[in-house]
Amino acid sequence: MNATSDLSALLQRVARGDRAALRMLYEHQSVRLFGVANAILRNRDAAADALQDAFIKIAQRAGQFDPARGPASAWLAAIVRHAALDIARARGREILSDDPALGDQPVAPEALEAALGRAQTEQLRACLEALEQKNRQGILLAFVHGLSHAQVAQKLDLPLGTVKAWIRRGLLRLRECLA
Amino acid sequence: MIPTDPQGRDEIAAEFVLGTLEAHDAVRVATAILTDADLARRVAGWEARLAPLADLATPEAPPPELWRRIEARLDPAPAPARARRWANPWKFGSFAGAALAAGLATFMLLRPAPAPQFMTVLLTDQAAPAWLVQADGAEIRLASLNTSPPPPDRVLELWALPQGAPAPTSLGLIPADGRITVRPTSIRPSPGMLIEITLEPPGGSPIGRPTGPIQFIGRLQPAVGS
Repeated sequence: MNATSDLSALLQRVARGDRAALRMLYEHQSVRLFGVANAILRNRDAAADALQDAFIKIAQRAGQFDPARGPASAWLAAIVRHAALDIARARGREILSDDPALGDQPVAPEALEAALGRAQTEQLRACLEALEQKNRQGILLAFVHGLSHAQVAQKLDLPLGTVKAWIRRGLLRLRECLA
Repeated sequence: MIPTDPQGRDEIAAEFVLGTLEAHDAVRVATAILTDADLARRVAGWEARLAPLADLATPEAPPPELWRRIEARLDPAPAPARARRWANPWKFGSFAGAALAAGLATFMLLRPAPAPQFMTVLLTDQAAPAWLVQADGAEIRLASLNTSPPPPDRVLELWALPQGAPAPTSLGLIPADGRITVRPTSIRPSPGMLIEITLEPPGGSPIGRPTGPIQFIGRLQPAVGS
């Protein structure tokens, strides 16, 4: 058994209303998933709200998880990210913050190397590294830290229109590179 | 509006996944994918492409009370039986307290164990204490606090899952008296290790991993004073 089939099996049980399985899923995944929410919200209270919303959705939608579309860990993280993004938008993330807690460290190539060093993500890492640095930074700041176009523009000290175009171009290149 | 050209549809799907859409566009995409199979496929494709990036976030433990908040949201109205039980807290409290004390006393009398390094209490799905788990660097000891026996054609099997391990390790079947001491060879008790008890067919899980529902679960924590 590996971790992936373990999570899929738990999700199948959650879909049948098995509360113990949901608790098990929480015990297994909450540290990783809270980290995902907190990277976006940078506020533990808000991240806790996001994780709570996400687990309600997980309990309700576990039956919709389709292993053919990707690993359960990714499905869980996507639900958490969107719950966190919803809260970030509701809080008004367009207010530009100069948050010192927003480190540049996850954007550094060595961080990419460490986090994405596993074989199955090597291609994504290679494709990200092939992007221009600011394209890559923009994509990572948006995905990992939930920054809006305007916040990415401020962070990278670039005009808003340029950032929008670069992120779009970066995503297009990623898709071609990963195809 | 959701674009109609393939390029535009793929771009809005990508930015939905990336998180850069404004609130109204994000809601539009989230609603559209319920009925628009092509858009749903594009969103799923981008989720799959970008998913590994979520691992760049630093893992962090959530607040300890969060699971209880989630359960409270899932059970907005207390079940009548539970409401009745709590309506007479004296009766329930004294029963649970006596059972807890009796279980602890039995355990301590029979086994003057060395001071544990790690402990946890496994809870029932009603959050009532059911099992006491104590461990040191080599040994894991389990004692029943107040547990009803498994159904006649089922046994209780004890499992441990070290943090980061992909699968739990069986620690054996729990005998009828509810006490078991194990010295696992392949794993060492450590803080954060999950301890769980599942319901299995006679003889235990035939495949070396849990097959039945999890009855009780808890996480080893450093014992106070050790």
